[in-house]
Amino acid sequence: MMLKMTLQGGLIYLTLTLFLATGVALRGGNRTVGRGFWFTGFVVAVMSVAWRGIHTGHPPMQNLFEFFLCMAAALWPLSQWSRWRNGLDTDLQDALLGAVILFPAGFVFGEEVRRLPPALQSPLFIPHVASYVAGYVLFARAALMALPLMRPSNAAARVRQTEAAVRQAAVAGFALLTLGLLLGSVWGKICWGHYWQWDPKEMWSLATWLVYAGYFHYRLRNGVRAPGTLAALLWLGLLFVVLTLTWINVSRMFSGMHNYA
Amino acid sequence: MLTGPGVAAWVCWLSALGAVALAFAGAERAGAFMALPAMQAATLLLACAVGFCGARAATRRRFDSALLHLGCACVMAGWLAGRYAVRTATPDNPAAGSMAMIDGDVSDKLWEGAYLTNYVGRIPFSVKLEKFIVERYERNADDRDAGREGPVREYRSRVTVSEPGASPYVANVRVNHPVRVRDYHIYQMSWGQSQDLYGRPVTYTVLQFIRDPGLPAVYAGFCMLLGGILLFAVRVFRLKAPRDEEEPS
Repeated sequence: MMLKMTLQGGLIYLTLTLFLATGVALRGGNRTVGRGFWFTGFVVAVMSVAWRGIHTGHPPMQNLFEFFLCMAAALWPLSQWSRWRNGLDTDLQDALLGAVILFPAGFVFGEEVRRLPPALQSPLFIPHVASYVAGYVLFARAALMALPLMRPSNAAARVRQTEAAVRQAAVAGFALLTLGLLLGSVWGKICWGHYWQWDPKEMWSLATWLVYAGYFHYRLRNGVRAPGTLAALLWLGLLFVVLTLTWINVSRMFSGMHNYA
Repeated sequence: MLTGPGVAAWVCWLSALGAVALAFAGAERAGAFMALPAMQAATLLLACAVGFCGARAATRRRFDSALLHLGCACVMAGWLAGRYAVRTATPDNPAAGSMAMIDGDVSDKLWEGAYLTNYVGRIPFSVKLEKFIVERYERNADDRDAGREGPVREYRSRVTVSEPGASPYVANVRVNHPVRVRDYHIYQMSWGQSQDLYGRPVTYTVLQFIRDPGLPAVYAGFCMLLGGILLFAVRVFRLKAPRDEEEPS
């Protein structure tokens, strides 16, 4: 836990404040002000990414800190996409999700470029981790967008519309999760000699993948007849994601090859 | 009916439970468990069932589903081929093993075990360690405060590979840069410091040799999975009106 007393830190904290203000304004029912904060937050997030690129002199996609900055800047376009394509208002949930994403960038990750051990010096490092992080963000969006499906509703058209948006977010997340898993596997072969090591983190990732694979099969079998179940399945998937990110990383019960991550 | 998406959903979720159980068991026990003949038979069965679904989807012109299922089956089949190579390995044709070397050593013998004390077999070429090199990052303030050297940036083994019937050549084995010789990949596995017979410090390197004939199938499966998932995503994003929704098959 640390404060960043630099211009970079200032931009991050300003974005964080604007995202939280968006949440407060939208929650209080003030739409215009909320959307204003949301867009301003996006502009500052883009400035933060741009400053990082100018300051370090390399494209800001080379470590997790930079990648989290990029994800926070990607949420406003994603919410615009959902409005344009699916007719859904996701501003509130995306602003709060953005605050959650920026929290580690602001208070946990260091700004300095780490001196990587030999095992992590690979062009596959960033794509591997970035696919996972982007996939997880999309899964979180899918689960949040699915919340209204849990309430019983007789507006069938509305349910279909929401469900389509949710499934689009989930399939994009699933593609990225698959990519992350496969890139990790190829990297494992190159670095450790085996593409699959039965490492606890690998197993949790595979379990997450299987939960979402089950969701897609269930959706194919039953359609939108039980939207509440579909939403519950997406929350189950998100639970696996959260467990993979927290418990598996922290607990000594799951020590393995991924310990440096 | 038995191979429809309704059953498949449950197969996925039960496999997820199994994966979590194996995560609790830890990598070593999970690997040993999956090496049991019964588990490999179960994997073979699953690969056949998934492959059947993929083939059936192909005949129904559902190419996303076909690629996804055939890709999964291909990965499982490749893994089984790798396991088969391990099971049928002989001292003349080992599947995996390591050698610990100091500068100047020549060897074609592979060993295994925590201290590399169990003889595995001989590879069809010999390796001479010309020089083992460790490079470190420059010390910064953190290191100076802690009174230590900078962290390791790179370690590599410069080896001369002598294959029968070919002139020897030099190769650098580094972490993340394995060297391919015949059917084997050579990996820079680890290194350490020890003492020789006279108590002088020596630095040794451990090279790992792995032969996996199933690897092309696994990578082909990966490509099919990626292609399938892209087609699937495109299809989901194209669905707009309710009438375009697919019927349960």
